[in-house]
Amino acid sequence: MEVLAEGKGFFRMPDPDGHREWIRKKSRQMKSKLMTEKEAIEKFVSDGDYLGYDLMLHKRGPTALYREIIRQKKKDLWLACRFSGVDPGLLIGGGCVSRMDIGWFIQSGTASKAIEQGKVKCTEWTNSAIVYRELAGAMGLPFLPMRYVGGSDVFSHSGAKLAKDPYTGKPIVLVPAINLDVALIHVHQCDEFGNARIFGPGLSPIETASCAKKLIISTEEIISNEDIRRNPGLTTIPYYMVDAVVHLPFGSYPGAMPGMYGADPDHTMELMMADRMGWDAYLKKWVFDVADHADLLEKVVGAKKLLDVTKMETVREGYHA
Amino acid sequence: MSNTINFTQTEAMLCTVSNLITEDKAYWIAIGGLPLMAMMLARRTHAPEAFYVVEDGTVSPQPPAYVPFITGASGLSAYRAIAWKDMNTMGFHCAVGYYDMGILDCLQVDMYGNINSTFLGGTYEQPKRRFGGPGGANEILSMCWGTIILAELDKRNYPKRVEFISSPGYLDGTPNAREKAGLPANTGPTYVVADSAIFGFDEKTHRMKVISIAPWITLDEVRASVDFELLVPPQIEVMKPPSEEQLTIVRADIDPTGRAIGAGKWIEYTPKE
Repeated sequence: MEVLAEGKGFFRMPDPDGHREWIRKKSRQMKSKLMTEKEAIEKFVSDGDYLGYDLMLHKRGPTALYREIIRQKKKDLWLACRFSGVDPGLLIGGGCVSRMDIGWFIQSGTASKAIEQGKVKCTEWTNSAIVYRELAGAMGLPFLPMRYVGGSDVFSHSGAKLAKDPYTGKPIVLVPAINLDVALIHVHQCDEFGNARIFGPGLSPIETASCAKKLIISTEEIISNEDIRRNPGLTTIPYYMVDAVVHLPFGSYPGAMPGMYGADPDHTMELMMADRMGWDAYLKKWVFDVADHADLLEKVVGAKKLLDVTKMETVREGYHA
Repeated sequence: MSNTINFTQTEAMLCTVSNLITEDKAYWIAIGGLPLMAMMLARRTHAPEAFYVVEDGTVSPQPPAYVPFITGASGLSAYRAIAWKDMNTMGFHCAVGYYDMGILDCLQVDMYGNINSTFLGGTYEQPKRRFGGPGGANEILSMCWGTIILAELDKRNYPKRVEFISSPGYLDGTPNAREKAGLPANTGPTYVVADSAIFGFDEKTHRMKVISIAPWITLDEVRASVDFELLVPPQIEVMKPPSEEQLTIVRADIDPTGRAIGAGKWIEYTPKE
């Protein structure tokens, strides 16, 4: 295939066969993968990992898992950052990130500053381009053709190529696959083996889960395998992809969990302020001075707040089996 | 009795975009802010059945008019949708041609309709001011049949050439520049809506042209508010001012806290008898 132009951004060279070899070694056994967030992050997140997530900190993000990553002082993560809120800000503020693929993040805070100061290296993509690259990774392919990114300066600062389509002879953009080292996905319901259900718009749960070597699921609710089998059409992610299941009610807090609770406006203000002014006090209060998520809910958040955010946005239609 | 009405620049922009929304098109709307508010306004006035999708995979929901806090961050923004899909599915449906019109707001739009949401000053590797990135605007501007871009009328927002093309307009304006870059044929920005004017693009040169201007501003003032030479066709229409009905709905239902619509200068307008 004739390459007509190419971007100069960095990307990890796709390795579909290498990825298959990793997947080959993963257990297919239906065994319980229940563990604490401490165990899950210790076991499945390593320094330098290429890390992705579904949705974002402010809505169904894996926020409790982010806090555990910071608590364990993980370093040099490479974030596949598409459609994000303060997610990169928090993780950069926690000292965990050195690289980012950028689709979008809430600007003017820590992430903007880190890029301006050269502390975090980035490559420009778009929201869809990143989840499309995850789709390529999830399909076991080295790349996929697409109809956007071309022509813009995103193209020249990304790892995309413009090639002559061998069928039609017309120019077409190609983007390299992403196979994440680790994906974090917060779900509504999951059984102990990892069969998981998500309700509401998904962003990229299937692509993000299927392109990753390691997959950590945190869940609002643990349901039985019998429940899963009674309604198989609702299973978003099958158990064999999943390495860890962590039971974390209010695991998206201070973000919203669609159908279950809304985002906490007070905490989010605190988060936005920390993103702009500095993270020390915030991280002390919400991460380092508590042992884990349950400790945080009990000591810092409190029952009243949890009732408030639940009352704010409980919706039944579509969000329950 | 005076029939003078007062509104902010943002309200004028919001009402103008809303007036362009029709029930016979499918819209891909930026997930929050003014584009979504314009859709909410159109649905509460002349286009109750208007169809839209947002990039997280929400297909034409019926959310409450006012979603508190960050719009995209609320489960309510997906309430009573036709379908809950995902980001790639929205991209696929756009790529095969189902989505007619994108609606986006932006920091900067240039004379060829290219938009910048990446950085200002310095270099890509070490920018002076780094912004949030292309988001979903690149796919919208690349693949929708047309796109409406919102940008407040101000020289800083209308440079001759943006520093970084985050999302593609007509690129350098040369014939078939978009097709040569691999983008779908016959696509590109349709309108740029400011608070006091609607712009379009010349079919041959792809340069920004005036379509209509508000009755409270002169053509010279509009020309002086952009950093390049606007094309001015012989016939210019008068832009429809916000109506009392629109302003009431916007203020009472869509943005009751005034957080979004309070932005910009106030405009005082007295219609001629």
